[in-house]
Order: sequence, then structure tokens, then C-alpha cells
Amino acid sequence: MKRKTIRIAVQKEGRLKKDSVEYLQSLGLEFSKEDVRKLIVSCKNAPVEILYVRHSDIPQYVQYGAVDFGIVGANLLYEKDFKVKVIKQFDFGKCSLVIAVPLNSPIQETKDLEGERIATSYPNSLRKFLEQQKISASIIEIKGSVEIAPLLGLADAICDLTQTGKTLRENKLKPIKTLFDSKALLIESPFKSKEKTEFTNKFLAKDL
Amino acid sequence: MKKIQPTILKEMCNFLPQRMMRWNAVMEIIRKTFEQFGYSPYDLTVPLARFIATNYQKLSFPFKCYQIQRVWRTEKQQKGSLREFYQCNVDIIGSKSLICEAEMAKIIVSVFEKLGLPNIIIKVNSRSLMNVILKSFGVNQNESPTVIRLINKITKIGKKEVISKLKTMGIKNAESIVSTLIPEKTNRKTLEKISKYRPDELKEFLSYCNDLGIPEKNLQIDPTVTRGINYYTGLIFEVVTKEDDFGFICAGGRYDNLCSLFSNKNFSGVGISFKFEQIMFLLEQLKIVNVRSFPSQVLVTIFDKNTIKEALQIYRKLIEANIATEIYFEPDKLSKQFRFADKKGIPFVVIQGPKERERQEITIKQLKNGKQKTIPINQIVSYFSNYYEAENN
Repeated sequence: MKRKTIRIAVQKEGRLKKDSVEYLQSLGLEFSKEDVRKLIVSCKNAPVEILYVRHSDIPQYVQYGAVDFGIVGANLLYEKDFKVKVIKQFDFGKCSLVIAVPLNSPIQETKDLEGERIATSYPNSLRKFLEQQKISASIIEIKGSVEIAPLLGLADAICDLTQTGKTLRENKLKPIKTLFDSKALLIESPFKSKEKTEFTNKFLAKDL
Repeated sequence: MKKIQPTILKEMCNFLPQRMMRWNAVMEIIRKTFEQFGYSPYDLTVPLARFIATNYQKLSFPFKCYQIQRVWRTEKQQKGSLREFYQCNVDIIGSKSLICEAEMAKIIVSVFEKLGLPNIIIKVNSRSLMNVILKSFGVNQNESPTVIRLINKITKIGKKEVISKLKTMGIKNAESIVSTLIPEKTNRKTLEKISKYRPDELKEFLSYCNDLGIPEKNLQIDPTVTRGINYYTGLIFEVVTKEDDFGFICAGGRYDNLCSLFSNKNFSGVGISFKFEQIMFLLEQLKIVNVRSFPSQVLVTIFDKNTIKEALQIYRKLIEANIATEIYFEPDKLSKQFRFADKKGIPFVVIQGPKERERQEITIKQLKNGKQKTIPINQIVSYFSNYYEAENN
């Protein structure tokens, strides 16, 4: 069945949520922010639904056209090659993907990573970097709390996102290389529809 | 006692392990692609025609089959021809749809893309169309096989030479014949030029190819392509690379009279044959090695007589985790074990001496740079199965 409403996916919880919601409100979309457990919230003044979903799932939803727009961190798009259109870069959600090592580590620069174990939740981004640098290493994939991997003896270095560097410092880690800087992006699905064009003209056009 | 001098027969093969590994890896890519497209293997001890004629009641049609097998032929030797080679074919028997031909083109593009040759060109022609064109220029049935053979030499001996030979044969309109048949820069222009001969088959084929996402750059309508005069009846293919010296690396087409020798039943088929040896020579010449060319990733060393048990356990762990691993068979000096690995191109050796054993650890040594690191023994499988090997390193 063809969908008549426009769907926009934003982060359910995390560092992008607040700014994402504020941005949607700034466009003139009216919706309740009260019911925090609700995953789908309908706008009062437009045929638009806001979806609160897992951040890492958003690019896929947008790629398949299950939702029309999404707000995600650039790091997610870099990690996997999604077929989505980036239509806006935001000033929020700034962070960097870095390689960090324990303070007392003999690893001082990129080339010292040869043959080492690097823990990360971003294996593809790390692989791209190693490929460019022509460095071979063991990539230990961990879903979260990557920072403790060196402490547990699981890895010699980590490749993870950092905003202020506070978590790294707390875990006695220091960054030795920035892979890239990321910010939040507004992305659009590759499928066209009359409804989407109307929405873009009415709410987004003035802002792009 | 007088020893026998070991020699190999003329035009037969004898490969050292590294090369054989490469060949097997390429063969595996081709086999997997065939199976991905739904083809099943059959035994090539008899020709396909005889096989179909004998078994057609047991087979379901359209019958999609492949065979990859080493064969021996006692044909008279010509330059470059081997007596021992690989048959590497796919066929569809029992469908006249041009989707079959488009599927063949898709298989060709998929195989070569996976082999690191994305720029191959599939030259396509229609046998029946060529007959129509030749007839329109007054070439009679007796002359046409010779004319076709000559035209086929255009890329080798050049346009002028072909025209003059045609003239010597007494063929009128030699220039017009040749200029009609030589392909234009784009398929659209070639089709326009020969449009009055109604190239409908080619058009339908191209449209299916487009739907299957076969890039335009990989397809060339080439009316000079002639392929096996007596055998093929419909569309014919020849696959070449920009490095023209290699000749065809794959060829085939539609045949309508496959089983006529054996049976009254009429089977129409399409088949292509990958020229395995040419493909390998091409890959080796272009130094395309996207296949692992060393046998193992890890050599487990034996520190001394007392640690054989531990070494065997490490070896077992790695082998059971599908990591290509070998174990050294003697508690020789470690340096000798390292040299063995180095000579075989095995990139890692693992060592567990008494110290490591006590701490439940293992040392991994990279032979290319001598770098060593010690990790908990429990992580050894994870280390190697997650190892990212950078290229040109």
C-alpha cells in the first residue's frame, strides 16, 4: 500500500536526539514531546510522522524508503556505504573518529599499529583507514564501551568516536590519530513521491 | 641402476604449488558464479549433445548445467594450443528466449568483475543477420563460409588486406560488405547502420542486458564476429580485453541443432565457454592477484620435545576455526622453523615457549618485519580470524 504520510526518523536516545527534535520544531512541525516511550508521533499540523528509532538503523530505513528523511551522524554513513542523499549538514552532533592508545603504550604513531589488536564499533571505517595507510592489524569488533578493551587486555588500541575527549581521559587513553570529523546530517531516501516533493517545498526548501 | 629422466609430455601441464593455488582460486570464483546463477554440474565424460539425447526424459527443461573439468585432446598441435586444458562451460538447453543470451552476458560480466577484469568487452553478433547481409550483397551460400572466415581476420590483418583478398576471390561489393560489417563507435550507431537488415534480435538482447544492469561499455555489437560457422545458429559472443593479443577469453552462442545427430527431438541451446588457460595467462601477465597465493596464514612452531602437546592443541584450535594453518613436524631450532615458513610465504609463526606456557600466552611473529607480540592464548583465534591484511604491504 502506498503511504500518504511523510516519515522522518530521529535518534531514540543519545547525543543527537535533542538537537534533532529542536530542528524539526524549528521547521514549523508541531508534535508532542511528552510521551517519550512512543516510537511514532504524528504531527498536528501536517501529514508527517516522527519516528524515534535506533540511531544505527536510520540510514537503512532511509535507503529502503521505509522512511523519507532521517537525521544521522556522518560517521554512520562513512561506516557503511548507504545509498542515501545528504541534503543538509548541521552544526550539531560534532565528534571525531580517533585511534587512541593507553597512556603508557609503546604505540606512538600510526605505523606502530602494524600487527596490533584494535578494538572498535566502526570496523569498516577502521579498515578503510588501514587500507589507506597500508597497515595490517587485527580488528576486534565490540558493540559498545570500546574504551575499556585495552584495560581488559583485549586490545592494544581502540578506534572510537570522541566529542570532548573526557571518556578517553577517564580510561587513561590518549588519541594518536583522527580518522575524520563528523557532524549530524539530514538524509533523504532515493525514492520519489508527490507527498515528499510537497513536504520538501513546504517545510525544507527555505532551509536548504 | 639407470634412473628415468622425469619429463612431461608436450603441451601438457605441470605446475608448482603456488601457481596451482592461484588456478584453483580462480576456478572456484567461476564455479561459485555458475552456481549462483542456478547451474548444476554434470559429468563431462561424454559430449553434452549425447548426454542430453540419452537423458532428456530424466532432466527438467530448460536444463541449466555447467562443467569445469580437465580434459585431454589428441588434436593436431597448433601454436599455442594445448593438449591438456580445462573445459569451463555453462549451457542452457531447451529455451529459445533471448533472456538466456542476456543471462550469459550477465554471467560473463560477473565472473570477470570478480576476477578483477571489469573492462572486458563482449562482442555480439547474430549469425542469421550476417547471412541476410551477405545475401543482400550477392554472396552465395558456397562463398559465404570463406567470406566469413576472411572477415573474421579484420582485426588481425586489417581492412585493406581483407578487401583485396575478397576481390581476388571474385566477390563484388567487397568494400561495401566490409564497411557495412565494421562496427561503429557506439551500439546505437552500429544498429542504425544495419537497421534495414532488421537487427531485432540484437535490439531485444540489448534491452534485456540493460534491464540486468550490464554496463554499455561491456557490450559491443560487432557484425564481423563470426564464430564456428557450422555450429552456431543465433546470437554469438566473443569476449576480449583491451590487451588484444590475448584473443578470446570466453566465447559462445546459440545453437539450434545440438542433438540432431543423436535424436529427432529438437533442442535449442545457448552456451559459453571460458578459456581458462588464456584467462590465467592474462591475470598473471597483468599481475592481478586478488587471490591468496600462499598456502597458509600461520605456522605453529614446536618449541621443544616437551611442548609438542601444546603445539598440537594450538594447531587444532586454529584449524578448527578455519584459519589456514600448518604445524612444523619436528622440534628443530626455531630459526630453522622460521626459515621454513618464510620460504613457503607463510606470514605468521606462533611460538609458545615455557614462559608463555606458564602465563597462558602465545607469541605471534610477523616474518616480513620480525615484529613480535604476545597475547593471551584464548585470543589467538580471534586475532587471526579478524586480521586485516593490507594490500601491497
